[in-house]
This record gives sequence, structure tokens and C-alpha cells, in this order.
Amino acid sequence: MKIFNGVKQLAAGAIIGFSALSLVACSNGNEADASGKTEISLYSSGSKNVEEFWETVVPMFEEEHDDIDVKFVFVPSGTGGQSTMDRILAAKESGNDSEVDIYEGSLEDILRGKETGDIFYPLTSHNVENLSNVQEENLAGANDLAVPYRASSVVLAYNEDKVTDVPDTAEELYQWIKDHPGRFAYNDPTTGGSGSSFVLTTVYNQLEDDAMNIQDESIMEDWDQGFDLLNELGPYMYQEGVYPKKNQGTLDLLANGEVDMIPAWSDMALEQINKGLLPETIKLKQIQPAFTGGPAYLMLANNDDQERKKAAEEFLNYVLTLDVQEIVMDQMYGYPGIKWDLLSEEDQEKFADVMDGYRIFNGGELGSKLTEQWQKEVAAQ
Amino acid sequence: MSKKWKATLLGIGLVMPSFLILLILVMYPVWSSIKTSFTGEDGQFTFEHYIYIFTEPLILTNIRHTLTVTILSCVFVLIIAYSIAIYLRFSQSTVAKWINKTYLIPMFIPGVIAVYGFINFYRDNGWVARIIGDEHMPTIIYNVKGLLMINIWFNIPFTTMLLISALQSIPNSIIEGAKDAGANQWRLFWHFILPLSYRTMLVALTFLFMGIVGSFTAPFLIDKNAPQMLGVSMQQHFSVFNEIEQSSSLAVFMFLLCSIVGYFYIYSNIKESKKEMK
Repeated sequence: MKIFNGVKQLAAGAIIGFSALSLVACSNGNEADASGKTEISLYSSGSKNVEEFWETVVPMFEEEHDDIDVKFVFVPSGTGGQSTMDRILAAKESGNDSEVDIYEGSLEDILRGKETGDIFYPLTSHNVENLSNVQEENLAGANDLAVPYRASSVVLAYNEDKVTDVPDTAEELYQWIKDHPGRFAYNDPTTGGSGSSFVLTTVYNQLEDDAMNIQDESIMEDWDQGFDLLNELGPYMYQEGVYPKKNQGTLDLLANGEVDMIPAWSDMALEQINKGLLPETIKLKQIQPAFTGGPAYLMLANNDDQERKKAAEEFLNYVLTLDVQEIVMDQMYGYPGIKWDLLSEEDQEKFADVMDGYRIFNGGELGSKLTEQWQKEVAAQ
Repeated sequence: MSKKWKATLLGIGLVMPSFLILLILVMYPVWSSIKTSFTGEDGQFTFEHYIYIFTEPLILTNIRHTLTVTILSCVFVLIIAYSIAIYLRFSQSTVAKWINKTYLIPMFIPGVIAVYGFINFYRDNGWVARIIGDEHMPTIIYNVKGLLMINIWFNIPFTTMLLISALQSIPNSIIEGAKDAGANQWRLFWHFILPLSYRTMLVALTFLFMGIVGSFTAPFLIDKNAPQMLGVSMQQHFSVFNEIEQSSSLAVFMFLLCSIVGYFYIYSNIKESKKEMK
């Protein structure tokens, strides 16, 4: 019996221990704490550079606003970025507090928010003053529900030493690829945005100009012409049709000199050129019609808490100040969210090569359908 | 309570914690993915996701590719690891001692790091290409050859370790006795060593098959874009195409593949222990 008692005690101890642990976890909410500070949370996802950016900006903000505490939660891309959005939606449905105040999301999230009703607070220059400084073309997609605080786009990155006839248009690019077999690579579009932008623009360049705004699935029938072109280009790609994984995969090939030209994200390429990870002979250029790109949006989740709403608006306003926008440019190599003419001439010059604009793909779910079709038709050709 | 009862209760009590953990962390997710794989968009029972994975040419070639890579890798690993194990069991040379000390090293290198090292080594203009010249370099990275090589590299240490321990448990007296009776090396191998180590080989094969069939990192980074290993295809369906039902049905299919292999292993074990009981 003695042994049995021992086991019982052990079990009881374990149960008490577990419940104590879960209690600690529960009390970790977003309440205003004893010192009178308002605690808000910022949920963001993406690559490493996004995480580093917020780790710089959040302490700066807290220093200027000592009555607000910002809890920063980073969800690395590919590990369930959608789950933050799902969490906000689920909390709204059940009437609970999502504990997410500021959410960095995509155009798709804004549209989903708009469909479901009041899950995001409306944002105008009345409650976020600096919104009047934001570039107008970026505001169009925001639907008064989001702050487009920075942007980036896909551009052409090429090795100046090897490429003499740099293409200006998409047609010239396709011709260049055919003339230089094995010297061009785009990454597997299911694993990174630069490759999927190449696939997307190649397909949509064959269609009418405003096709990128169509969300109806009937347009999929018109994709064939673009896919034929992609298949035609296949044998001229790196190793006769190898598409490396991730945005970094093609950048590595460019750095090693295995290829001479790739589509790449402007911010990733600029950062790596500046840090010496890419040789200095690598230049960037936007072609016409342009690759896709777009702003990154910040939204305020509606949790019915005025105090936290005010604090979060304060934060959004701060992100649009020149101080933070300079960090966007200098540290992230991203395009600023505020109007170009508000920046110094020196800053404007830095982006002269790539600021030729970009197109915004507004097809929603069609984006993943496109990569799925690519996997079936182009990868397996 | 009688003594026997107490002992039974104690036994159950001791098993309970690990059983509960198994139930929560393994059984429940398995059950929920089986359920998802049979659920249609309308929430009704359906076979459509299984029809998809067995009719869609993309998945069919992926299944064929996965089985080919897995079986080839298993065969290569078993042959190489068994030769190393035999050599280490019967040789007393310095070389054998050194191999004995170093063959486990790959087990302690994290997977992703090993894969990146491998890529840098065998890339088209990597280290090997620089030594032997670009024009003599076969395509290894972004090719199934590279995937087979890294599978072999990853799996040899553990398999060798298993096989060595099996070979070491063969008493020297048996081998010496057989030699004294006039058995040559081939007879010794076919009639003594192989039968006495074949069960461990089966265990090793089970582990190899399960490990390789579900691998992700190496095939994701080294293999071609198509055909894909099932692990890569499953991840793609799950997080890129957002087709959770189809990736669940792929997972269930993979689970069935592994359980077939597992069945042979358990079956042979039961047969063996029945023999021992008689």
C-alpha cells in the first residue's frame, strides 16, 4: 500500500503543478497594469528583416511614450501567419478579446476584414493624423481600414559585368532568356514571392491591363497562353528548368555567378548589396510592364477597448513619422510609406533605380491557384 | 484488496501517464487528420480527396518518385552500413579503430546545416567542381542523385550502430567453432553471421523506410521541383495551396505505407518470440 500511496501523491503533485502552470499562462493578458501603463500588442510576420525592424522601432516608441507598453509578437513566415488573422476572426465571432491590437497583414486580410464587418477599426486622417502623408496609390487598397507604412516590389537583379543588353520591357526579358540559355533563374513560386511575381506577370502580361483586379475564377481559362510561354522558356532556365527554393535560393545563384539575372525583392537585394553579400556588380532595375509588389499594411483589431485603441492609434501615427520612415529605408531597404517629396533628396536618389513603380496583384485566392497550376504544368513538364 | 490487485493497479498507474500523453499528442492528431481527410467542403463524408490523390498525375508521379527514392536509399544504406559493420566487427586494424571512432559524427550535425554544407560542396561551381574542373562535374544538386547521396550520408551512422551491436552479440565461440569444423568464409557468412543478424537488419530497414519516406528538409532543398517527395508535396498542399483536406489524405496514405512496413517488423518479432516460448 505504501508504494501505491506514493504514486497517488506523485499524481496529485503533478496535477497541482500543471494547473498552477496553466494559471500563470492565463493571467498573462493585456490588462493595464498597476503602474497605469496601457499595454498593447503588435502581431507581425515575415522575414528576419521585419522582425529586426520592429525590434528597433518598438523601444524607440516606448521611450517617447512612457505610458504605453508595446508587446511585440513575431510569427515567422510559413509557420502559420494566417493563424493570427484566424484568431482575430474567431475572437470576434465568440465575442472575446483577441488580445491582438495591431496586426501587420496583407491586402487579402483587409478584404476578409471588410467582408466580415467590423473586425478592424476604420482608419482615417482624423484618428491617425499622419495618414495624410501616405502615398495615395497605396491608400486605394487599404479601404480606410489599414495603414500602408512601407512597400517593396520585385525587380530585375542582374550582373553588370555579364549582361550588356539589359532588357527594358518584359518582351525583351523573354528574348534575353532565350538568347542566353542557363543564365536566368526564378525561384519556385510556391516558396517565395519573387518567383511567383515572375510567373504572375508572365501570365498576366498576355491578358488585358486590368486583369490583375479580377477575382473571378473564370479568368483561369485565359491563363493558358502565359503558361505556354513559361513552358517555352523552361529549357532556357538554369540547368534547363531548375527552380531553386525560396527567394534566397536565386539570390545565392546570382551571388555565386551561376546565373546572371533573376527577379528579386527590392528590399532583400538592396540590403544584401549594401552588406556585401551580393557583389557590387549586381544592379537592380524595374522593367515595363512592371513586376508586382505592394505595401505592407498595419491594421487595428477591434476589441472594444477605447484605451487600447487610442494607444494603438498613437503607435500607427508614430510609424508614419520621418524618423521611422528613415529606418524603413536605411535598415530594411524598403520603400517608404509616405510621399516621396517629403523625403530628403539624398534618400530619393537611393531608390532612383527601382522606384519606377510596381503593379499590385488583387486576385485574392487566384494567387495560390496560379502557383498550383505552375506546379502541375511547368515544374512537371 | 488482494496483493495481485494492488500490483495490477500499480502497473496500470505507472503506464497511465505515458498512455495519456500518447493519447493527447499522437492518437488525437492522427484521428483528427483521418477525419479531415474524409470531410468534404460541405462537412459531409466524402472520398473525393482520396480520389484526387490517386488520379491526379502530379500526385501519382510524386508517389512513384517517393517510393523509388526510399527503396533505393534503403538498399544503398543497408549494403554500405552492413559492410562497414562486418569490417568493424572482424578487423583489428588501426583503420578500423579510426572508423569506429568517427562513423557516428554525421548523427551530431543538424540536418539543415549538413544540407547546406552538402550543397556548397557539390554545387555546379562548388568545392568539388573547383578541384576536378567544371566540365567533369555531374549535376548533383537539384537532382535525385544528390538526394540519394544525402540520404545515405544521414542514415549510415545509426544503421551501422544497430548492425554492429547485432554482430557483436554473436559469440566468438560460434565463429571459431565453425572455423574449426572447416567452414570457409562464405559458409560462415551465409550460415551463421547473416541468419544471426538478419532480424536487426529488418529493424534497421523499418527505421530507414519510415525516416526517408517522410523526410522533408533534404528533398525540399536538394531535389528537383518535380516530381517531389511526398513530404514536400504535403507541405505545399497544406501551406501554399491551403488544401488541408488533401494534405491530410496524403498524410493518411503515408501512415498506411509505414504501417505496412511496421506490420512486417512486428509480425517477424511475434513469430520469433513464439519460437522462443516453445
